[in-house]
Amino acid sequence: MKNRIYKIKNLILMCGILLLINIRCVELDETAKDFTGPSTFYNSKQQVESAFASAMQRLYSEWSAYSYGHWNFESDDQMYGGELVFGDDQGSDLWGAHYRSIADLNPAIKALNDDRLGTSVSQEEKDALMAQARFIRAFNYFSLVRLFGDVPLITEETNPVTDEITRTPTVDVYAFIEADLLFAIQHLPDSWPGENQGRPSKGAAKVILAKVYITIATAPLNNTSYYQKAKDMAADVLDDGIYSLVQDVSEVFALQNSYGPEIMWSFNAAEDDVSTPPQIWLPGSMADGWGDFKSDQVWGEAYPAQPRKDAYLLLEDWNGDPYTEWFGTTPYVKKFLYDSRENQERYRSIQNIPIVRYADALLLFAEAENMVNGGPTQAAVDAVNQVINRANGYVPNPADPLLTTAMTKTAFDAAVIQQRNLELCFEFDRWYDLIRKRILCDTAIPEIQQNCDDNDYLWPIPQTDLRLNPLLTQNPGYTAPE
Amino acid sequence: MEIILSQFCRKLHVARTVRKVFHSVLLLIGLSALSWQTYGTTVAKHAPVRTTENIEAKDAAITVSGKIISEKGDALPGVNVLEKGTSNGTVSDAAGTYTLTVSSENVTITFSFIGYSTQEIAVGGRTVIDVTLTEDATTLGEVVVVGYGVQRKSDLTGAISSVPVNQLTQFPMARVDQALQGRSSGVYVLNTDGSPGGNTMVRVRGLNSINGGNEPLVVIDGLQGGSLNSLNPNDIASVEILKDASATAIYGSRGANGVILITTKLGKTGKPVIDAGYNIGFQKLARKLPVMDAASFAKTFNQYRMTDTGNGNIPTPEFTDQEIANWEKNGGTDWQDVVYETGIMQNFQLGISGATDKVKYLVSGNYLDHNGILVNSQYSRASLRVNLTADITKWVDFGLNYAFTKETYKSPSFREEVAFVSQVVNNAPRWAPTEPVYDELGNYWVHSPGYAANDTWNPLASAVEPIIDNPIFKNNANLFLNFKIAKGLSLMITGGALLTNNYFRDYYNSKTYAGLQNNGWGHVNSFQNERFQNSNILTYDNTFRDIHHITFTGVIEQIYEEGLGSTITGSNFLVDQLGFDNLAGAKSIVANSTHYDRSILSYMGRVNYVLADKYMATVTYRADGSSVFGAENKWGYFPSGSIAWRLSEESFLKDLDLFTELKLRASYGKTGNQGISPFQSQARLGSGPDYNYPYNGGAATDIGFGLAGLANPNLKWETTEQTDIGMDFSLFNGRLTGTIDWYKKVTDDLLMGRDLPGYVGVNSVLDNVGSIENKGVEILVSGDPIVTDNFRWNTSINFTKNKNKVLDLGPDDRIGYRPSTGGYSLGTDFMFLQVGESFGLMNGWKFLGIWGTDQDAEARRYGQLPGDPRYLDLDNDGDVDTDDRTTIGNGYPEFTWGWTNQLSYKGFELSFLFIGYQNVDLFNTIRIRRDSFWEGTSTVLLDAWTPQNQNTNVPGMIDGKYREEQNLTNKIFMGNNSGATSQWVEDASFIKLKTATLAYSFGSPKLQSIGFQKVRVFMSGTNIFTITDYTGYDPEVAAFPQRGDANIGVDLSVYPPARTFTLGFDLTF
Repeated sequence: MKNRIYKIKNLILMCGILLLINIRCVELDETAKDFTGPSTFYNSKQQVESAFASAMQRLYSEWSAYSYGHWNFESDDQMYGGELVFGDDQGSDLWGAHYRSIADLNPAIKALNDDRLGTSVSQEEKDALMAQARFIRAFNYFSLVRLFGDVPLITEETNPVTDEITRTPTVDVYAFIEADLLFAIQHLPDSWPGENQGRPSKGAAKVILAKVYITIATAPLNNTSYYQKAKDMAADVLDDGIYSLVQDVSEVFALQNSYGPEIMWSFNAAEDDVSTPPQIWLPGSMADGWGDFKSDQVWGEAYPAQPRKDAYLLLEDWNGDPYTEWFGTTPYVKKFLYDSRENQERYRSIQNIPIVRYADALLLFAEAENMVNGGPTQAAVDAVNQVINRANGYVPNPADPLLTTAMTKTAFDAAVIQQRNLELCFEFDRWYDLIRKRILCDTAIPEIQQNCDDNDYLWPIPQTDLRLNPLLTQNPGYTAPE
Repeated sequence: MEIILSQFCRKLHVARTVRKVFHSVLLLIGLSALSWQTYGTTVAKHAPVRTTENIEAKDAAITVSGKIISEKGDALPGVNVLEKGTSNGTVSDAAGTYTLTVSSENVTITFSFIGYSTQEIAVGGRTVIDVTLTEDATTLGEVVVVGYGVQRKSDLTGAISSVPVNQLTQFPMARVDQALQGRSSGVYVLNTDGSPGGNTMVRVRGLNSINGGNEPLVVIDGLQGGSLNSLNPNDIASVEILKDASATAIYGSRGANGVILITTKLGKTGKPVIDAGYNIGFQKLARKLPVMDAASFAKTFNQYRMTDTGNGNIPTPEFTDQEIANWEKNGGTDWQDVVYETGIMQNFQLGISGATDKVKYLVSGNYLDHNGILVNSQYSRASLRVNLTADITKWVDFGLNYAFTKETYKSPSFREEVAFVSQVVNNAPRWAPTEPVYDELGNYWVHSPGYAANDTWNPLASAVEPIIDNPIFKNNANLFLNFKIAKGLSLMITGGALLTNNYFRDYYNSKTYAGLQNNGWGHVNSFQNERFQNSNILTYDNTFRDIHHITFTGVIEQIYEEGLGSTITGSNFLVDQLGFDNLAGAKSIVANSTHYDRSILSYMGRVNYVLADKYMATVTYRADGSSVFGAENKWGYFPSGSIAWRLSEESFLKDLDLFTELKLRASYGKTGNQGISPFQSQARLGSGPDYNYPYNGGAATDIGFGLAGLANPNLKWETTEQTDIGMDFSLFNGRLTGTIDWYKKVTDDLLMGRDLPGYVGVNSVLDNVGSIENKGVEILVSGDPIVTDNFRWNTSINFTKNKNKVLDLGPDDRIGYRPSTGGYSLGTDFMFLQVGESFGLMNGWKFLGIWGTDQDAEARRYGQLPGDPRYLDLDNDGDVDTDDRTTIGNGYPEFTWGWTNQLSYKGFELSFLFIGYQNVDLFNTIRIRRDSFWEGTSTVLLDAWTPQNQNTNVPGMIDGKYREEQNLTNKIFMGNNSGATSQWVEDASFIKLKTATLAYSFGSPKLQSIGFQKVRVFMSGTNIFTITDYTGYDPEVAAFPQRGDANIGVDLSVYPPARTFTLGFDLTF
């Protein structure tokens, strides 16, 4: 009897033990719960596209007109302030932004190479995805190589932590950019449907490649054989007939023209993406503006009087008070202030910031055509005059006269660069013209010219990178950490 | 071996069928083994005993009585007197006498009393048995809780501090961690803020880690990761602090910061005991910061304003004579009086405990309600504990520890993460006394512009208006079955769960700053954490040939933890009234959710060998597999070894008859700190607003996913190697005891973000870099200097000195920190870590006082005038710039001490505790603004420099026009770091009478006759007085250590500790 009771007790106990032991053996392999990693992502078209959104956001947060990436360029001749004594951290924020953008793109490119999408999308769509990825990556490297010279070339095959990273020669970086852009031109569509209108098109890729070629033709590589390539590529865009100038200069930056016919690719702005407000461009008398960026007074006052000046520069505020009463007594910048007054007073703007537009294509064509032919052809003159005519409201204006085939090659070239100066002002372009034409020291604001030297044509490799990777070298004129 | 087992486990997990088979096999083996045990042992050994008992039970009952006294002849009331093996017992009365009717003249009676050796006396037919109990200061029988078991205190080879429970309960206290302060050497306890239920920081033997966390592991009844906050102090039976590697290595990758072991109470054999207690405490702000009265402030500010004559300015006074006259008559606002009130703390306790020879139980309930000194601050805790053990059979014990707590915590903002503008503790003493609380319409007053803290929000509004509700529910359960397999061999299987639910809600209406900015601002934040632990402990304890005592402990343990959280933030409310009860009323809603899990699988073994009670050695080895480690480093191994020699057992010392105990100890071992959040070793894609972008060019952004973190497959725990040499002694028959330890700890593979080059695209990756050393000495001496018949004085002093040094910081020699929020000019590098230096260093300019009139020429060389502050030009290059910065303070104390005393006279008992922290600096940030003329309210401004009053550290008011005329070129270049000067660094050493209690216990037979065993009434004080040169609220604050211990030493105006007076009583039925 007693034994039987013991047996029953044992049975109950054993059930208890079983319950306790039954707690599962723990797993030591981790599976992330509330985030994903690059090795398990990019499995769908939408996931790949989310990498493009992030890659562009990295740039937007530094480069867009509504952030402070411009500080880096205030030493050109257009912006107020500036000092041609560059610190050892000059441009390090842009360096970081571009490489963060590249780091977003490379795993997506690798996933496309590995065909992680499989049969879920057509080859054509895969190619279009790859084309967008390589387009944005090329844009990143084009900025980096122009600003910093030889730069580390991080591709989808690179492990930037464990690999030995050195600076890749400028010429090789350009070859890499060219390959990316050629692929993009081949596979990007001529245009995107309305709901995707903000994406890069074939035309945008062509203009950027034309600019790459013309940059290779000028300093520092000075490979003049590339003028021909630049001319052909730009001519392609003109011949395509997809894009054209907005006829009224006061409407170039109007919101309804954000996605064409002139603007070909931009930093897109949206209602729910409030980055730094437009106040950085506004004088204090408008919407409590901060006036961080404005034109240099000499440059602004020298800007020829024409409808374009009123369209691109802010000369008076809402009360009609002139710029001479504002802080700095200099014209401010109107290009990025085409959103409504109401939005500006709400510290926001949904105006896009153009990166590529048709006027640029016309001017690139004119510059290359002139160089290839040893003087201005009628085609070159026609291209520039489209821009000048519009600037003058289609009436003759001695302050900004039309160009002619009678001009010398040199005079015509200078006139085209000057048109770029006026037409593309504050669109992140002037600095590149100054350095590729090596005219920085001649055109810089007089007060700071004495500080200009050839070392200013490249910015320093950031100190952090030099400190953490001894294989990197510093550009001349800058210090390296001990 | 571990890998094989883990793979085995994985296979089990995958194939459930296999596991079932495995379990069935285990079940069969277990059944047969246990059956054998039951039938074999029980029949062979126990059966005859049972027969004897049965026979004896037929014998006649007899009554035994007697008196129980101590060795000194004192009567001992409250001694448990029990017929052995039964629940038949009584307790001695106030005169020490007892009467007990036992079942037979052949039984044995057990006499037990805390602090005395238990005696067993066979009745042997006697009816009068007088007993003398001896105090057991060093008795062999005293056991100490060590990880996964207990050890005789005499057998210990490691450094373990036991905090006597009678010391913990001497003072009424809300929380266990606070009660540990000053009690134990090697344990540094700091109240990081004084808010009800606020944070306490506990550090065992210094700081080992920069980012991995320095919190000791808390183990409550075997369950790891417990919370000291939510434990009812009345439920504690013992507290042990494991300090050296020999003691902590048993916790492997979680042991590096020390381990606090807490065992909760169980009933004692005898009749059931009911404890009831109540106390009420009244709290006051211990010290007010001195603020000028309204009239003085107005006059001082006017005087300053009139010096604003630079740039051709013609100044006008801010305040009119009439206004000043009015304030002289009617006074102004004392903002500290406005936001501080008398706090009230009430504590209710009710417990029932008891035991029979088979079952022990304790049920304890506690309710704490605490309204703090800052208005609208409150903490409450309701807790219920049920502890139960039962001997189910001769060979199986069963036990359950269950605790439930509900806590609520709220306080106005004083924390760092809150906008500085509404930081009440900081703003109140900075608001000018000339400002009223409300305007004529009864709205909160907005600070007048132009002086004092006009960039901040009305302190009363900031304090009272936020609605905060934060209930936290905790359910802790731990079950065990203990199988007594054979003599000395037992297997304990435990399963425990810790469940925490936190539901935080707050709402800031438009009367608050945040609410106005956001048009109403509310949060609902819920978080749930569950942790399961299964420990399987095999213990073998046996003595061979009377001199070889071996204890073996083997453990297989697994822990799984999962956390779920969500946060909703609403702003832009149409109606203020609904607040967090209906966030749908918000126009803008941001939601977020999180989810993580982690697991640990561990194997551990320990052998403790004692030879002839003289020589002893312990070896432990633990292997931890943790999910949070990188793929290449899933397993960590933590060995330790220690030896001890009890010299007092050697004949040459025994003959001296001097030492009751003298033991030398040495230990060495490795422990880890796995302060890594889950998934840190994995590459991570980020998402959210920082990644979204309107890529398609629509009206709204498109979702972006970008690289946010890189994988580090090599990521592992921090490793601490510790050497300890110690000595325990006991003299004069146990009246003087002490422990001295020296230790050295080196922590390697510190978890830190390793900077990455910009071209990687991610700023840093968590990695194992860097190394830190801690060295220290700990001394604990206690004794009974005076013991007479009626009077006894017990005293204990502990002393801790710890020095730490940064040995390596990876690629850098120096890492700077900025400890402050906005509002103070501390730049980016004020606190820093530097190779070769200790934690907590401050970096800035040395303040040398005020330029005197006799230093006019020298002052002018720096562009200064007599009356201006003078700073050290370290490199003597004629200016004060970045190159002149140097170390100006250290926030970590050189040594700390505590002194406890217990004096008893008849029924009276007086206890008090002094604590002291020596050679420590605090950066008193609030002074930067309070002590400046531009906006200061401090009374020190009344002592400003003038040519007649040059012996001061307060700069003078210098006329602006006069200064201009001197045509000076300023050579002080501090930029935005101008706050970083030694002017604000103060010596924060202090001596504090932390607590004192006067109690009286009634133990008269009269009370006993009406059912009371004990009645104790007491009055008590906390933070009674502080001796310090520090001028802030309290030197015993640490600023926001949640940002890392390297930030210790900056007073950023946290909730000040209160002075408390408590009255209460405890009843025992």
